[in-house]
Amino acid sequence: MSESGINRRDFLKVLGLGGSSLALTGCGNTDVQSGVEVVMPNVHPEDFVVPGLSVFYASTCTQCGSACGVMGRVREGRVLKLEGNPESKISGGKICGLGQAAVQAQYNPDRLTQPMVKEGDKLVPTTWEKAMALLDDKTGPKSGISGEQFAFVTGATSGHLKALIQNYMDSLGSKNHFVYEAVSPAIGFAANRQVYGVDMPRLHLDKAKLIVSFGSDFLGTGASPVHFAREYAKFRKAPRGTLVQIEPKMTMTGANADRWIPIIPGTEGVFALGVANELLNHEEYVRATSPDIVALVRKYDRETVSRATGVRPELVAHVAALLWEKTPSLVISGASAEGHVHGVQNAMAIQLLNKILGNVGKTVDGQAQSPFPQIAPSAGSFAALKAMNDEMGGGKFKAVFIHGANPVFTAPSFMGFRENLRKAPFKVAFVDAIDETAQECDLVLPILTAVEDFGSHVAWYQPEGVEVSIQQPLMEKLHADTRSMGDIMLDLVKVRRAEEYKAWPDFFSYLKTAVVAVKPVVKYTDTDEHFWYDVLSHGLIQVDAPQQEVGANFAAAALDLSSSAPVQDPKFPFYLIPSERHNFRDGRHANLGWLQESPDPLTTVVWDSWAEIHPKTAASMGISEGDYLEIASQNGMLKVKAYLFPGIHPDAISIPLGQGHEALGRFAQGVGVNPFRILDPVFEKSTGEIAMYGTRVSVRKTGSKETVVKDEGPYNTQLGRKLVVTLPADVAQLSKEI
Amino acid sequence: MIHRLLAVLSLAFLCGSAVNAEPFVQGGPIGSQTSDGYNALGPVVQQPIDFPHYRHAKDMGINCMYCHTGARRGYVSVIPREDKCIGCHQNIESVKDKPRIKKLFEYWDKKEPIPWKKVNDLPDFVRFNHERHIQRFYFRQDRPVREVCGYCHGDVANMTVDRRVKSLSMGWCVSCHEKDHKESVTNMKTSHGPNECWQCHK
Repeated sequence: MSESGINRRDFLKVLGLGGSSLALTGCGNTDVQSGVEVVMPNVHPEDFVVPGLSVFYASTCTQCGSACGVMGRVREGRVLKLEGNPESKISGGKICGLGQAAVQAQYNPDRLTQPMVKEGDKLVPTTWEKAMALLDDKTGPKSGISGEQFAFVTGATSGHLKALIQNYMDSLGSKNHFVYEAVSPAIGFAANRQVYGVDMPRLHLDKAKLIVSFGSDFLGTGASPVHFAREYAKFRKAPRGTLVQIEPKMTMTGANADRWIPIIPGTEGVFALGVANELLNHEEYVRATSPDIVALVRKYDRETVSRATGVRPELVAHVAALLWEKTPSLVISGASAEGHVHGVQNAMAIQLLNKILGNVGKTVDGQAQSPFPQIAPSAGSFAALKAMNDEMGGGKFKAVFIHGANPVFTAPSFMGFRENLRKAPFKVAFVDAIDETAQECDLVLPILTAVEDFGSHVAWYQPEGVEVSIQQPLMEKLHADTRSMGDIMLDLVKVRRAEEYKAWPDFFSYLKTAVVAVKPVVKYTDTDEHFWYDVLSHGLIQVDAPQQEVGANFAAAALDLSSSAPVQDPKFPFYLIPSERHNFRDGRHANLGWLQESPDPLTTVVWDSWAEIHPKTAASMGISEGDYLEIASQNGMLKVKAYLFPGIHPDAISIPLGQGHEALGRFAQGVGVNPFRILDPVFEKSTGEIAMYGTRVSVRKTGSKETVVKDEGPYNTQLGRKLVVTLPADVAQLSKEI
Repeated sequence: MIHRLLAVLSLAFLCGSAVNAEPFVQGGPIGSQTSDGYNALGPVVQQPIDFPHYRHAKDMGINCMYCHTGARRGYVSVIPREDKCIGCHQNIESVKDKPRIKKLFEYWDKKEPIPWKKVNDLPDFVRFNHERHIQRFYFRQDRPVREVCGYCHGDVANMTVDRRVKSLSMGWCVSCHEKDHKESVTNMKTSHGPNECWQCHK
C-alpha cells in the first residue's frame, strides 16, 4: 500500500466518496431488465451441450510435478472448476489449492496473447509467420548452427512432450537438454540411489504406527502432497499414528506433528545417528547391523549429539524409545535435512534408521517400474543449470530455448545467470505469461495453458502401478494467437526430419498415435479409436508393472558426519532458511491472485514476504513484528518485515520462496522479496546441487516499521478474553504423552 | 340494433386483429393493456428477427419446451440452438422466401449466432431455476404448458417477439411461494415454495 502512496485511511475515504456510484455501476445488473443484454445461442453444438448444465472432462493438473488426475467442470465452453479425478491413484479424487488455482492461470489478465520479438531492449508484438521465420533463420538448417551451440532449458518434464523435445535435440545433434528445477529432489535421489538402489522408494505412510520426519514437508510440498495427505489421513485413523518432526523451521507437516523438535540446520544426520546409537542398546538391532556401522554409530552418544544439534539429550533417547515402542515405523528425510554440503550423508544417516528398524520392505519398498523409458520423468536438478550457465558464460551457445523454467528469477545472483544469458545471441522463451527470463529473450512465443492443451505426464512418485496421466483441453483456446507447445515442437522437428514426422499434422495426432501404441501393454482388445476415447474419458492409463527391487546398502565411511559441524562466521551469525511454500513453490505461481490471497498456513500473512524470527532472538535484538530487517548474506541483501514465529530455531531466519518478482504480471510484480538472490555458493559435495539451507546471513534492524498484513488476530492475546484455554508445553508435560 | 351490429363487428375486428396483427410488434407504452389482458411491464425489445411466437406456439401448437429445451433440465430455459430452427425450416418450402426466414438462413450460412436480446433478465444476484418450476407444475401437476410458462412469462403464445408482462420482482415471486400448491396430480398434499434467501441468492 505504502509504495503506491495510499494508506488505509485514504483508501477508506475514497471508498466512502466513490462507494455509492460503485454500487450502482460496478456490480452489473441490479434490477429486472429487458433488451439490454444479449444472449447468444449455440449455432451447431455437440449433442450433449445443454446451456446451464456442466460437462466434466478428465485431465491432468500440471501445477506441480505430482501429475494428479483432475476432472474439469466446463459450462458453456468455459472451464470453471477443477476437482480430483477419483480414478487417479495419485489424486484419489482430491486436489490441492495450487491445483484449484490452475483455472485462474487460464483467465489471467496478464497472459501473453501474441508472439513478441525484441527490438532494441523492448519486446514488441509480432506475427507467428515472422516469429517462425526468425526461428528458422537462427536455428534452421541454413543458420549453420551445430548441436553443440544449441541449448534447451526446461523444467521437470515427462510424457510425450519430453520425447518430442528429445527428438528435436536429436535432429539438431545436440545433447544440451538441461532439466532444471530450482527446488529439486536431486540430493534425496542421490542418497536413495546409494542406499536403496532406486531414485525414490515408495513410502507406506498408512502402514506405519510412527513416522519420524527429518524436515520432509510431505503434506505441503514435496513429491505428491495430495497423495500423501490422503495416506496421512489413513495413518491418523485409529489406532492413531504418531508423527515426530525434526526440522529447524516448522513446515505445514511440522505443524501437524505430535512432537516438533527444532534442530540446528544441517545437524539432522547427527541426530539420526544419535537415535541409532540409542536403538543399538537393543540387542536385536545390533544383530541386524554390520559391525563397522555399529562402531561408527557408537561415537554419537547423547551428549555429543546434543552439543552438535542443540537438542536436549533426553529427547534423543525419547525419539529412540518411541521408535522401539511403535513398529513398524517410517523415517523420512526431507529438504531441510538434505540442503547442506553433506546433504547426501545426512539423508543416508536418516535412512539408516529404516534399515536398523527393519522398515525396508515393510513401510519402504519399491515403486512400479515404468515400461515406457522414453516418457519417464526427468525430475530436474540445480546442477544442470550450473553446467549450462558455465558453458553459456564461455559464449558457447548461439541459441538457447527455455520452457517451463524461470532461471533468471530462481538462479542465485552469484551465478550471474542474467548476464551470461545475454551473451547468447538468440534466446527464445515459450511461456504463457512474460516472466523475468522471457524479458531477457529475443523471441517470446505464447503457448497454451494446461487446460487448453493436449499432453501426457508421468509423475516421479507413483503410489500404485504406473499412471500415465493424460491431459486434454477443457476448453477452446482463449486467445487466437497462442499455440500448443507440442505443435511448435513438432513444427521444429519437421524442419530437419519432415519425412519421419509427416504422418502427424499436429501434436494431437502425434499423442494419439503414441497413446494408441500402448494398447498391447494394457491388454486392450477393442479398436484403436475406442481405446483413445476410453483413455480420454478416464484421463489416465493405469499400467500394472513389476515393482523395483529396494536394497539397503550402507557403508560406514559414507555415514561419518563428524566433520559436518557448520562453520561459524561472526559476521553472518544466522542460518538462512529459504522455505518452500505449498502454494508458490519456486515462484512460478505468484501471478495467481487466489494464491497470493490465501494465507500462509502458519503465519497467515498474505500478499507479501516476511522474515520469520524466533521471539527470544527478536527480544534480544529489540525487534518487534513489522520491523524492517536487512537480511544480508555475502551475496546480497533483502529488506523484509519481521514476523515473530516460535516455530523456528533461535539461530535461524526464514524467508519464504516465490515472491519478489520483477515481472510475471500485476499480481506478482513488486510483491515481497526473492531469497534465491542472496543464496551463497555452497554446494552439496557429492551431487553439486546448491545447498539451499547452507547460506549464512546477518540481521540488522533498519528502524522503519510497517504492519504485517495477515489474517491472524493480535499475537497471543485472544482479543483480551480467554477464548481458548491454553497450557504451555512444559506445564502440559508433553513428554509423558508423546 | 345498429349499435348491437357495430358492437358485434368491432368485436370480430378485435378478435381478428388479436390473431393476425402481431400484437407486440408495435407494442404500446409500458403499463398499457395488452390484447390478452396483461399489462406490458417491460419495453418493446427490438430483436434481430421478429420471432413470431404466436405462429409456433399457438397456430402450430408446438410445446414451448420443444425449442426451450433447457427449461425442464437446468437453470436456464435455453435460447434454441440455431441448427434446431434450420432443422425444421429447411423442409418448410412455403415460408422460405419470407423476410424473417431469409434472415435466419443468412445467419446460418455464415454460421453466426443470432444475437437475441434478453427480455426477462433478472438481476445478477438472483438465480432462478426453470427446472424446479417446470418439473413441479408441468410434469407432476400435469398443467398445460402455456399456463405453466405463463405464470412468469404471460401468454407468449399470443405474442410475436416476447415482452415482459409480469413484474418478476422479489415480492411478486414471494406472493406465489407463500401459496400452497398441490404436490402432484395424484398427491393432494400441498406445500408452498421455499422461502429461504439462499434458494435464489447464492
